[in-house]
Amino acid sequence: MKRLLLAGLVLMLAVVGVFAGASEEAQPVDEGVTTIRIVGKDFNPSEEWNVQLLRQIEAGFLEYSGKQIALELTQVAEGAYSQLLNLMLLGGDIPDLIYFQGGDEVIANQGLLVDLGPYVASSDVMQDVLMDFNKERLANYPYLLWLAPPRARTAVIREDWFEEAGGEIPETIDDYYALFSAIKANHPDAAVVTDTGNTARMDFTFNQAFGVTATWVMQDRAYVYSKVSDAERDKLAFYQTLYAEGIFDNEYITTKWDTMEDKLYTGAVAGVFGTAGIVLDIYENKLMDNQGVGLVPLPPAQGVGRGYPVSSAKETRGWAISATSENPDIVFELLEFMATDEGQYIDRYGLEGIHYNVVNGEVVFTDEKANWWPRFHEVMSWDAPTAMLGPAGQKGWDFILEYSVGDPDFPIPADMSPTWDALENLYKEYSFKIISGEYGIDKFDDFVAEWYRLGGDDITEYANSVLK
Amino acid sequence: MSDARNVLRKRIYRDRFFYFMLAPVIVFFIIWHYLPMWGVRIAFQDIRYIGANEWVGLKHFKMLFSSPVFARVFLNTITISAMKIGFFFPLPIILAFLFNEIRSAGFRKGVQSVIYVPHFLSWVVIAGVFISLLAAPDGAVNKILLFFRIEPVAFMTSTKWIRWVFVASEAWRSIGWDSILFIAAINSISPALYDAATVDGASRFQQAIHITLASIIPTIITVFILNMGFFMNAGFDQVFNMMNDAVINTVDIIDTYVYRVGLTKGNFSLGTAAGLFKGVIGLFLIISTDRASRRISGEGVW
Repeated sequence: MKRLLLAGLVLMLAVVGVFAGASEEAQPVDEGVTTIRIVGKDFNPSEEWNVQLLRQIEAGFLEYSGKQIALELTQVAEGAYSQLLNLMLLGGDIPDLIYFQGGDEVIANQGLLVDLGPYVASSDVMQDVLMDFNKERLANYPYLLWLAPPRARTAVIREDWFEEAGGEIPETIDDYYALFSAIKANHPDAAVVTDTGNTARMDFTFNQAFGVTATWVMQDRAYVYSKVSDAERDKLAFYQTLYAEGIFDNEYITTKWDTMEDKLYTGAVAGVFGTAGIVLDIYENKLMDNQGVGLVPLPPAQGVGRGYPVSSAKETRGWAISATSENPDIVFELLEFMATDEGQYIDRYGLEGIHYNVVNGEVVFTDEKANWWPRFHEVMSWDAPTAMLGPAGQKGWDFILEYSVGDPDFPIPADMSPTWDALENLYKEYSFKIISGEYGIDKFDDFVAEWYRLGGDDITEYANSVLK
Repeated sequence: MSDARNVLRKRIYRDRFFYFMLAPVIVFFIIWHYLPMWGVRIAFQDIRYIGANEWVGLKHFKMLFSSPVFARVFLNTITISAMKIGFFFPLPIILAFLFNEIRSAGFRKGVQSVIYVPHFLSWVVIAGVFISLLAAPDGAVNKILLFFRIEPVAFMTSTKWIRWVFVASEAWRSIGWDSILFIAAINSISPALYDAATVDGASRFQQAIHITLASIIPTIITVFILNMGFFMNAGFDQVFNMMNDAVINTVDIIDTYVYRVGLTKGNFSLGTAAGLFKGVIGLFLIISTDRASRRISGEGVW
């Protein structure tokens, strides 16, 4: 009997394991209430904060539009979000409002996403809050809406070492080199800056100055991919010098974002390149905890150009409305509401009593605020009654407003993506070998020749047909 | 005929508890390994999120094979797999032999427990450990090299060394776990054989070769043939976590390539086509290795 019970238990556990994860039963909804189903990354119904947020949004939306909505979140399994989302959609479970972080083009190409162009064009709210680069991206690809500052990386240097090296904010490439050299001379055991596996973060500071002013740059009266341009060659030569002198971390290639931060907090590097906004505040707070000093944000270098290039190809992430939604107008109205001052208040301050308290009519944040992030939009122009950014984060945003430069780019067609992948990998390998000194800068010409031979010719021809 | 049927029924009734316990495994394999085979057809289709999929024949295979880097990616996959099988496969067998020679049961169990642990670590963690250990010039390994006045080596960014790092890290992670099967095979050898060999004057080494090794050869052959079925799986998790831009063209394998070009862009058909391609090669390798093994040693899987 015991054996039978044991065997039964094993079988039951196996069956439960196989069939676990059945979907939740939908809540009944009153008549006259529009149900909007939402799916988002880390936006699961199992978290109480999310559920409370939805109830606040429903109340706010009722006041804003006079319409009653019931918001429902769809659970996405833990793991690679974009793939799990695609599998969910393939299974026929298609919510009204979908957050994509890649994998959206296949779906858009099948007409499954609503063209947001007409909605945005007739929305006063959106016209107010969209930045120029958002509008350009929507014009190229009108299926994703993403209201957030461009993800430009701002250079930040620890304050004590910066002051020790003269304390002058660098403007030109030469100024940067002088500052970095002075810091290196004062702290020979540390590197001055690092990056995470490539130079993408550091490029935000130096690209424009060297003439890498866009993804596709004009050279000899034709568009050339910037990474095979003469300007790129000059930039790589500069990086090679920084690497050889130990200014640029010699282990940047194997550095991940967490080890990059660790190097900053332990004094292994003087500075890093961080996403402007709250991320810089986090760096500063942690550096203050570990080393007792703050950070100095630095502007992009001045040279041929100056600024943070912001691609206009398409949004790489954002909200889309399903073409199968029965209420696309109300779904867009919801996106619109979340971009208003009222919506931003709800989305960015968090929950009253948990993330903030109202004291004498003013918002006072609690420690839990550090664990809150906006689920929908981060409108840059929102004039928050109580500022949410610290000095470093705010300075990063100020730089973005002052120095963002449009980058007329375009999405690479799907049939060219294997070639594009090969070309990008070629650049990755050559650029590291040049920067690390394994190859001399003369090898850049070999790289360019191989890049064109490997398929760069076709893509350049396509680029010139698109950008003309 | 009816007698045979009765005997079969009696045997099934007698072993009913074993069959009952086997049932979940059979259900598992049906659900997760046999039913999904029907999904292989999407390798020949463009997936439609609404409505029927569109039959496109070999389009995704052409896309896979026409990439300017496919030949290199394919060669990387074969090279890394061959290195792992060639250099790693014998290690668990050797380890099992060494365990068999340890007389102290407590010490043996202790060491076994320790070397099983890495198997339960994720490749994310292992990659972090190896990147730190092998960092140049400050990693522990390079510090040791410097102590012996040997120039530091940038193992993780060297196209010469990175594949050996894969073999070494795979060995560190799996050598203990993979030895379990061989230890079990050795334990099933009758002690009477060793007693008889001792009486006949055989040395420990001779016993190891002529009894231990000879007895577990069928197990070794079976494991080797089954491993050949996974030959094209060069280890996505390992490569994905340990690769970097400096070595990407040396270690990019079919799985990482398909992940980048296909899966992250929602192109599941390309991923399925690659999976089918790998599966067909794996099947061919299993069958051909089995045939070769039968001819050479008389042993095979079936």
